[in-house]
Amino acid sequence: MTKRLSGVYAAYLVFAVIFFGPVLFMLWSSLRNNVDITGSLFNIASPLTLENFTNLFERFEFGRYIANSFIVAGGSTILGLVLGAPAAYVVVRRKLAALGFVTLLARMAPGVLFVLPLFVLSIRIGGPDSVALNYALLIVAHLIITLPLCIWLLVPFFEEIPISIEESTLIDGANAWQRFRRIALPLALPGLSVALTLSFIFSWNYFLFALALANERTLPLTVIAFNFIGQGSNDFGGLMAASTLISAPALLLTVFAQRWLVRGITGGAVK
Amino acid sequence: MSDLMTKSPAASGSASAGPGAGAPPPRRRRVDPTARGVWPFALPAVLVTAVLVLVPVAYTIWLSVSDRQSDGTNSGFLGFANYAEMFGNPQFWNSLKVTLFLFVVCLLVETVLGLALGYVMSLDVPGRRIFQGMMLVPAITASVAVGLVWLLIMDPSLGAANQILAKVGIDPVVWLGDPDIAPWSIALVDIWQWTPFMALIISAGIRSLPEEPFEAAALDGASGWRTAWNIGLPLLRPVLTVAMLLRTVDLVRFFDTIYIMTQGGPVNSTNTLNVYGYNAGFVDHEPSYAAALQVALLVLVIMIAGGFTWFRQRASR
Repeated sequence: MTKRLSGVYAAYLVFAVIFFGPVLFMLWSSLRNNVDITGSLFNIASPLTLENFTNLFERFEFGRYIANSFIVAGGSTILGLVLGAPAAYVVVRRKLAALGFVTLLARMAPGVLFVLPLFVLSIRIGGPDSVALNYALLIVAHLIITLPLCIWLLVPFFEEIPISIEESTLIDGANAWQRFRRIALPLALPGLSVALTLSFIFSWNYFLFALALANERTLPLTVIAFNFIGQGSNDFGGLMAASTLISAPALLLTVFAQRWLVRGITGGAVK
Repeated sequence: MSDLMTKSPAASGSASAGPGAGAPPPRRRRVDPTARGVWPFALPAVLVTAVLVLVPVAYTIWLSVSDRQSDGTNSGFLGFANYAEMFGNPQFWNSLKVTLFLFVVCLLVETVLGLALGYVMSLDVPGRRIFQGMMLVPAITASVAVGLVWLLIMDPSLGAANQILAKVGIDPVVWLGDPDIAPWSIALVDIWQWTPFMALIISAGIRSLPEEPFEAAALDGASGWRTAWNIGLPLLRPVLTVAMLLRTVDLVRFFDTIYIMTQGGPVNSTNTLNVYGYNAGFVDHEPSYAAALQVALLVLVIMIAGGFTWFRQRASR
């Protein structure tokens, strides 16, 4: 038995080095200076510093990029929940498959397909010149990610609510909205937190829409980090610090909400 | 109210049939009084989804058969000239080739490696959840961060990969600068990012397998490998196809890490259809041609996904 156990842990170690190693490498590199990063991988004793992070905030307006990411991810998540929760409820109560198909289409369509029309629209309404309009466009674009995801994640939670609980309120003469608002929604609260966290992360991570649509003042973290590649290609420490900041919400989530995450990224493929 | 709240929905489980999402399991149809009057709640989401998904698709199809210039003027219906240009352009065929290459290589390796990792993840040993947590990280890390880290790892002169190779006496590899190697390097990054995702689904599948067939096989004295191949794999097929379908849809429209790491180069060796389409629209400013490419890509995704579903249904019959 112990022989089998050590075999499993040996496999753990191999897989962890392969799949978690690069993440550790990113975190570690974000804390080393450039000479050490490019000097030797094997110099483990090299000094650690927070300089890469402080540089980001001093030389660039990193605070604003973070705020931009928050605005877009937060806005699209809240909108996705407000629209998605009632819709998921209807999908469950009416056993609706058609909406599922459209959300599937949203999942399968290449992102560029959405970006072209949005870009044309953006130019027509003056999106590139207006900060407020640009935020609005980005939030709406990210709704393509968050709305299907919210519906997808919430459906199983509404399915778990026994119909008998709701039926009992029929006698009190509660109308459909009251049943949803006062009974179904509170019972689905765990699901709402799952959907909130996951769609925030997915929206935060998403790259393409902001790449094509954001203007100078609304650039989120993902795109500014990409723009860095061209500008300071030798500043690996800065790039790794930026990567670490981008990854922070996802990393925190893995530590605190692993079970939700499994459910979320497998998208209901397994329970 | 509060007593309702304390009743955990997870504990009830009476109606928790299928995996939900697009296809609710077929249930006996009975008149459900709670379903009355809920229709209007879906209206906002339906409208928004229609506007967000169907309008762009329709508009892109229109773009693809008209002639929009980069200055925003559109001289109107053009017929299938953009498509003719696309099929006559060797760049399109190259992109198709690159897309299919990455699709086949990544899906194959991710499935095989995913089975191995999924098996390891499914075993009940102390520390399983911590290990599973680590394996989750690649899939939920933003592609930009993934691309940047791998750019540093694959840097030709200073990168970690070549430093490690040098230690064991192998000459440095030009990971991303050589058109013969770059597609493999990109595949490597995708395999790194998504194998654990496959494994996660597979391990959940393995953990929900019935035990009886395996016990019976053990009684018959069948070897571990034979049992896995003859009993485990067939039982696992539904889960495996779902996982492969999810990856297929993403691989056919492969964009993020490529755009971050190579932008389609060198010499178009990593120029997938999606990257090609983006560059046509936003770098070369040919919106109508880019639209034709996107429609072609959408058709390809639907064809492959549809073929997969058809195959799956036929196989399960």
